[in-house]
Amino acid sequence: MKTGRRQKNPLVRIFKGCLIFLICFIILFPFLWMILVSLRNRVDILTPGKIFAPISFINYQTVIKENQIFAYFKNSVIVAFFTTVISLLLGSVAAYGFARYNWKKREDRAFWILSQRFLPAMAVVIPYFLMGALFKLLDTQLLLVICYTTFNMPFTIWMMRGFIEDLPIELEEAAFVDGCTRFQTLRKIVLPLVLPGMVATAIFCMINSWNEFVFANFLTSINAKTVPTSVMMYLSISGVKWGEMAATGVMAVLPVLFFAISVQKYMIRGLTFGSVKG
Amino acid sequence: MVTMAFLSIVSTVFLVLISLTNYQLGWKFGRAKFVGIKNFVRLFSGADPDFWHSVWISLLFMVLATCIELILGFLIAMLLNSSEFKLKPLVIGIMIIPLAMTPSIAAQMWKLMLNAEYGVINEITQKLFNLKIIWLSKDMAFWSILIVDIWQFTPFVTLIIYAGLRSMPVDPYESAEMDGANKLQILFFITIPMMRKLIYLTILLRAIDALKLFDTAFVLTQGGPGNATEFLSLHIFRLANAQNGLIGRAAATALVLLAIVTIISNLLIRQQRKEV
Repeated sequence: MKTGRRQKNPLVRIFKGCLIFLICFIILFPFLWMILVSLRNRVDILTPGKIFAPISFINYQTVIKENQIFAYFKNSVIVAFFTTVISLLLGSVAAYGFARYNWKKREDRAFWILSQRFLPAMAVVIPYFLMGALFKLLDTQLLLVICYTTFNMPFTIWMMRGFIEDLPIELEEAAFVDGCTRFQTLRKIVLPLVLPGMVATAIFCMINSWNEFVFANFLTSINAKTVPTSVMMYLSISGVKWGEMAATGVMAVLPVLFFAISVQKYMIRGLTFGSVKG
Repeated sequence: MVTMAFLSIVSTVFLVLISLTNYQLGWKFGRAKFVGIKNFVRLFSGADPDFWHSVWISLLFMVLATCIELILGFLIAMLLNSSEFKLKPLVIGIMIIPLAMTPSIAAQMWKLMLNAEYGVINEITQKLFNLKIIWLSKDMAFWSILIVDIWQFTPFVTLIIYAGLRSMPVDPYESAEMDGANKLQILFFITIPMMRKLIYLTILLRAIDALKLFDTAFVLTQGGPGNATEFLSLHIFRLANAQNGLIGRAAATALVLLAIVTIISNLLIRQQRKEV
């Protein structure tokens, strides 16, 4: 429902404007504060009353030079990339099956897949840990890729299913008439047409794996640590190194934000597993 | 599909098996003994008071977080829907930020902001109301985590409800206005019934995520002080981590969590599918 009417009462409009501004400010505040803290030196961080502190990039220098933060970033990028590729490859094909084949228990199966999203990470991380120990995979990027694929795959299937169902089926029927096989149709007709949706799904997969914490914290110790677990590094006995932590945070959040804003159009769809086509 | 079934079923079976043993971290698998349902008996007989405490605060947190976020999100969405202005895409963009921010890092930022001595929030409350709150103390830690969760996920609810409000047909509203319904009546008799499916979906997503909560609480309090904020996932973590290493007992607790989540999500999914 679009209520295009302009409010007649100017007082009401001003009040609403202020309210929306306040809400935005509250939402934005921690993010802005993080940027502010990352640009301050140690002493100024501990005096929050002082708003205009001199800007210094010392935190970023320490993080990059001493803490080897780029090693974390490298792991995160590798894990996110492979997870996304695998989930997309397998997920799209499965999604096509769910969208176009009819079988008796289809909806039940689809909801079973959806229910994977509700699996608490804490409940599966223990078996993964033990299996990882059994196969000598602990602290490797491969194990993280396997874990992340399990929760990104249901997501991909549901998202891609929605996108495929949005396509008119006549296109595929025409391709069949012209003698295409199922697979050819999928490759030459369906996939090119759902490409925008696929890119959006891929970006969501990347964000999901980039932000994941439970598995990464549990299953890695030295070699395969990802960016979200780096916060644990700053909780030293001598107190928390807030400045460096904030600098890491800014560096970790910026790419995600950039991606998220670029798929803004599909945001609601992505957040609700493709069940709301907002 | 097969891989997924494999990965989820195998790990569940593995979890069940482990929960029936007294396996501890660092042991060889041969050393673990089959102890039957002893782990579960221990949980339910009350020999483990920490467990019931965790279940209780997890459920409380779930209910509170879901209700508050749903109501707040609904109100903000209606506010956004009720007026048109040029900067609306910007507002929507801002709403995305808490959702895209890495949760563990966002929680760490909140930890700094909530700090009693040099946190910015106490600075503000002190200047405005001359009030100093020790946010992460035993009494307040639970509420602090709730505040962070509300900050993070109210925009999520807002975005979903807003999308729903946008896609509503105009006709029922016009006829309601003609029949002389007031705004509250329109809200309760038209908007909410028509959005029921969406509302169920939102409740489902939020309730389960709140129940699974780990990152935020772990970074903010690590379950403490004492066990004031030891939610179920954190309880499992404490049992299973390096200091305790009671993997068998942790697995039993994890199964309980899994059961709670499965029951609640099944109920809500069924309810949601019934709505057309």
